[in-house]
Amino acid sequence: MHPSGLSARGVSVAIRGKRLVSDVDLDVVPGTVTILVGPNGAGKSTLLKALTGEMRLAAGRVTLDGADIHAMPPRDLAFRRAVLPQAAEVAFPFTVEEVIAIGLIGAQAPDRAAHVARLLQQVDLPGFGGRRYDSLSGGERQRVQLARVLAQIDCARRAYPDGAAPPAFLFLDEPTSSLDLGHQLTVLALAREHARAGGGVLAVLHDLNLAAMVADRMVVLAGGRVVAEGAPGTVLTDDVLARAFGVKVRVGAVPVGPFVLPQSIGAEGLRP
Amino acid sequence: MLGTCGASASEIRPQDAAAQGAARDARIVSIGGAVTEILFALGVGDKVVAVDQTSQFPAAARALPQVGYARALSPEGVLSAGPSLIIAIEGAGPKSTLDVLKAASVPVVIVPEVHTPEGVVEKIRAIAKAVGEDARGRALADAVRADFAAVEAAVTALPTRPKAVFVLAASGGSATVGGTGTSADAMLRLAGATNAMASVHGYKPAVDEAAMAADPDAVVVMKGSGQELPPETIFALPAFMGTPAARDRRHVAMWGSYLLGFGPRTPQAVLDLARALHPGARLADLPPRAWADGQ
Amino acid sequence: MSAAPVPGTLEMAPSGAADRARPVKAGLILFALLAIVAFLGAIAIGPLSIAPGRVLAVIADAVWGEGASLTGAALRERVVVMDVRLPRAMLGALVGAGTAVAGAIMQGVFRNALADPGLVGIAPGAGLAAVAWVVFGGAVAHLLPLGLQGLGLSLAAFAGGLLTTLVIARLATRGGQTSVATLLFAGLALGALASAGTGVMVFIASEQQTREFLFWTMGSLGGATWLKAALAAPFVFALVALSPFLARGLDAMALGEAEAFHVGIDVNRLKRICVVAVAAGVGAAVAAAGVVAFIGLMVPHLARLVIGPGHRALLPAAALLGAAVVLGADILARMIAAPAELPLGVVTALIGAPFFLWLLMGRRAFAG
Repeated sequence: MHPSGLSARGVSVAIRGKRLVSDVDLDVVPGTVTILVGPNGAGKSTLLKALTGEMRLAAGRVTLDGADIHAMPPRDLAFRRAVLPQAAEVAFPFTVEEVIAIGLIGAQAPDRAAHVARLLQQVDLPGFGGRRYDSLSGGERQRVQLARVLAQIDCARRAYPDGAAPPAFLFLDEPTSSLDLGHQLTVLALAREHARAGGGVLAVLHDLNLAAMVADRMVVLAGGRVVAEGAPGTVLTDDVLARAFGVKVRVGAVPVGPFVLPQSIGAEGLRP
Repeated sequence: MLGTCGASASEIRPQDAAAQGAARDARIVSIGGAVTEILFALGVGDKVVAVDQTSQFPAAARALPQVGYARALSPEGVLSAGPSLIIAIEGAGPKSTLDVLKAASVPVVIVPEVHTPEGVVEKIRAIAKAVGEDARGRALADAVRADFAAVEAAVTALPTRPKAVFVLAASGGSATVGGTGTSADAMLRLAGATNAMASVHGYKPAVDEAAMAADPDAVVVMKGSGQELPPETIFALPAFMGTPAARDRRHVAMWGSYLLGFGPRTPQAVLDLARALHPGARLADLPPRAWADGQ
Repeated sequence: MSAAPVPGTLEMAPSGAADRARPVKAGLILFALLAIVAFLGAIAIGPLSIAPGRVLAVIADAVWGEGASLTGAALRERVVVMDVRLPRAMLGALVGAGTAVAGAIMQGVFRNALADPGLVGIAPGAGLAAVAWVVFGGAVAHLLPLGLQGLGLSLAAFAGGLLTTLVIARLATRGGQTSVATLLFAGLALGALASAGTGVMVFIASEQQTREFLFWTMGSLGGATWLKAALAAPFVFALVALSPFLARGLDAMALGEAEAFHVGIDVNRLKRICVVAVAAGVGAAVAAAGVVAFIGLMVPHLARLVIGPGHRALLPAAALLGAAVVLGADILARMIAAPAELPLGVVTALIGAPFFLWLLMGRRAFAG
């Protein structure tokens, strides 16, 4: 019996002899949201790239339902996982609809325009289909890219008969970095929804409050190694944060002045 | 590809074309400055309907439609002149154009190019045969041969052999000179000079020091085509500083087609060049020739 | 995240101009019509004036006629139409289509609208081989089969271009990964090396050989024959036929190589296929007609302005427009100095370079 889901065992990644990620074990379990946190340069994005198959490993193995993802054809992999990049420039003057259509893999549905319109609705960019991608703001571009990723996940699911689709994995590299609070919540709600529907999510986030709010499991990376993992409640401790980030913060301490936490919106806030 | 042209590339030998050329209404496309000069010298200039860009003499030839560079002829361009005969100097082409002309049943006569007096005589003989003017051809050939002989005799008697260099171009401050195997080299030798740059082969940019070491007594350049190199330009080149040529301002400029053409006017050109290279020497005039008059 | 465009990316249309639906179908039909008109023009117009109706009659007679032997003017017309204009128009369409599609593909692979087939060393490699043939080919021409002896220059150029590109692709590939940056630098380095070799050859060459080579570098359809067109056709057809299979990958490449991989593109395989296909297609075009400047750069740009950057439509559009532009430029090349002809590459550069500058200036005006 193969392990189901996506798992990394003993994964190390090196660039020009320099180890960026060392001996990481990590599982992305279908139906859950896993959030990767850590200081700058901890190797979060590198680990993400190793898990998506984009980067070669110096050691270890990443498997998807038991199969080595680095040996899988890119096409097969595309039907099992989609990746939201940190920032993406588009080389030519494509329109928003054309960018999203790049995520439409496999047999083309006849209702491309309707499909794209629905995705744009989901990322709160209704009517943007005909706009030029390069005329959009950073936050709008990030949401267009998310719509493209969701399009790919949709297509992957449709490629199988009803209900027979294996879980698909969503990798998000700092999906909220350019977004205002409202749209940060929109994006995380979409991630939660993907997990609720049976898929797996792995996201890199910088905002620990957002991470705590959305995560089923958190993994803290520092110096290329996992320093803590588990439910947010067990990971977000003064001790772990001091070790990982090298700063003395206290979890749960209420500041004197006014403060706003995304959690205050309640469970309702993460419903798309 | 190159060098294999010559008479062997000719699909129709001169004698086959003779009947065609003899017709009163012959329409000739002439490719090559010497070919055009010979046609006019033979008195069939009025039958020439188009020429190539090197056909600059006589003046009447310059007024004719030009079909461009001899080695890059356009088949339709040549055919649009409505030729019944094409006479071209060796090396004209490309082959695909000659093939098309052949397919259109237009006779093509290729005239061999040899940079000697006998080569010029041979050109006249071949062209006269192609246009069915053998008698006039013999007369022209005899006259040209006699002129060559007269110049050669005079030049041979000269006591000195000055060193001269032919400069084709001087862009960017370095001189492109005529070495061994060029028509310029042949002319310098016919005019009783030694080619100071005989160590080079073909037209090459000369190393300044080599040109200086060659110590030329004179520099020969081309006039016309907007590329004239005046003495100020030539003697400002590092290559010629301090040479006897620079000291004596010995700078000879002659029309390119006249100097390097190897046509019926070449004996006159040799004489002019010899006079310029041997100042003070007494060289007798050649008999006046109709084909050598004018510019 | 920055909103600045990718360095080197030219983006000609003002923002917002494409906010309406792109006229993809209309654009393709327009380009097809242009190509047809240019082709008909190329066989109807020439220094030898033949009435258009007469041209059709000549073709009909040549194809279905009794084959009666012609003489005089009739023969001349037959030869001009059948052996000069038709093969030339065919070759012009092939050269234009192949070069423009190759340019569009290279721009897609390099994610840069300024990329050109020349980046992977085809032109310098072909140039070196061509000049080497001009200088030394006479000695080895007899080794070729009889029917191909006149094509030595073309065959040498083709081999030289392809070989250079394959060496560059090999240098840029390590452990199965083909780096676009290394491809670019290896292309520059090998291109410079080939140019240096060309310089050595030009030095050795005689005056006439130098001129012959110079004319070749300026590009011309002058030596077009049915054989040349037939030899170039399979490579150009292969490139055009392959292009629908490259379209999705090239679209995805516009997002970045990693993103293309994530949506299922085997990026390294795509790059290798593109480089080899472009080298073969452009190599055949360069071999047949020399370097026809600006087509690979300008035509994809123009096509993109009309129908947008999506490669599924862009690649066939570039093929059609490339054929139309080269055929149109060749009509000018033949007519301006008739009965002599200008080198085609000179005409395309004379049209292309100012056009390109005008586009750039227009863009700057919009950008403020």
